Amino acid sequence: MEKCLEAAWTVEELLEKLESRLKFFVLDVRKREEFAKFHLEGREALPALNIPYFEILELGGKDEMVDSVIACVERHFAGELPRDRTILSVCATGDTSEYVAQGLGQLGYASANLKGGMKSWGNYHSIRPVVETAALSVYQVSRPARGCLSYVVASGGKALVIDPLRHIQPYRDLARGKGFEIRCVVDTHGHADHISGGPALASATGAPYFLHPYDAIHPMDVLPATIPYNPIRDRQVFRVGQVELEALHIPGHTLGLVALRVGDRYLFSGDSICIGSIARPDLGGKAETWAPLHRRSLLRLLELPGQMLVLPGHYGSLNEGDSSGLFAATLDDLRRRNPGLRALEQETEEGFIRYLLGNLPCFPAEYVDIKRVNVGLRSPSEGEASVLELGKNVCALSGETS
Amino acid sequence: MSQSFDRLFDARGLNCPMPLVNARKQAGQLETGQILKVIASDAGSMADFQGWVKIARNVELLGQETESMDGESVYIHYIKRIA
Repeated sequence: MEKCLEAAWTVEELLEKLESRLKFFVLDVRKREEFAKFHLEGREALPALNIPYFEILELGGKDEMVDSVIACVERHFAGELPRDRTILSVCATGDTSEYVAQGLGQLGYASANLKGGMKSWGNYHSIRPVVETAALSVYQVSRPARGCLSYVVASGGKALVIDPLRHIQPYRDLARGKGFEIRCVVDTHGHADHISGGPALASATGAPYFLHPYDAIHPMDVLPATIPYNPIRDRQVFRVGQVELEALHIPGHTLGLVALRVGDRYLFSGDSICIGSIARPDLGGKAETWAPLHRRSLLRLLELPGQMLVLPGHYGSLNEGDSSGLFAATLDDLRRRNPGLRALEQETEEGFIRYLLGNLPCFPAEYVDIKRVNVGLRSPSEGEASVLELGKNVCALSGETS
Repeated sequence: MSQSFDRLFDARGLNCPMPLVNARKQAGQLETGQILKVIASDAGSMADFQGWVKIARNVELLGQETESMDGESVYIHYIKRIA
């Protein structure tokens, strides 16, 4: 019997290894465009080599894939592949990379294959408790490949879900496992980077779906939403068991952005304040008009008690996570280390707006379409939806450039 | 496109990398000037075959088509052995 020389990493194991800063090397055999658009990223730079599998096949020149991998690596890439750490082979689905991992294993490399490939990684959701008590539980549900965060707030057997992502099963499984019923679904804003699971989760559970009415109009098409929603008002209070969440209308990233606060303890900040950055004001195509609104909203948030734990809607890098992998920090802490909030406190209004407009990352073309999907103006198939959502979000300003 | 061909490879139901690995093997058995028609069900084969012929020296891609066959989309590739 042939000895199995390579390991298989599940996406759960991959996340653990990325979070624990395990040193490994990635050999990604997808096409160069696919790699450029979406690849594995760790807390630190992850060394990687991208050689499409059909190039490996041709460069190796053998009839069979594994033989070609062996010949190709020996002839062309031996110097580029490290011997002191695991080489993780990666492709779109985990099938082709399995042959690559086998070839590397036969060459004596410490070799592993990513099971399910980038498709599984892209769809993987990780759930972590922020707090878990009888009176109040909060779970952070993240989609690591995209840097998207959502929340489940539960009390007395009932739950409210904030910003559910497109795949709604993780929320339903969590609710079933923990024994609570999803009673309310809230989107903090009309998302541009990902397709909301809000309307689908609401319809699957019978819970009402809430959105601020300003975000129920596509900002560029200026067309109204065709999906059913309940309008959120500023200061509106949502009750879940013994817990109250108050909506704070904080326009800027979108016109209808709201944050949700639980007393002086938790602030679900939507995209307004993330751990390492703040929201960009340009995704509605009106950056200069929205930037002053964004500033006033951020100042409003900074008046909240400093010990409040900020739970954001996004992260740009796994490195924004704390030692337990949670993306959360107190407002006081962020006031000190978040470059956007520091600029807000240090700069004049004019200076801060210059900072906002001077740190805009590129505007992904698909974001206009994703906003259409989120108000019901477009209904993509599953395949189209996953293409629209490929790669990591760019909802926040670019890093510490100023 | 009513492209004539000398050999047919039905790769329906095969996942990446097998449509390309086996098409490459079969193209290797063609005489120079002969044409292989590949029918695949894997949508990714479209870009993969384009990428492959860029690096392969003995074949060229005459054309690609998408068709519906037995109620499913299929991706057709015509590969010519040129050396």
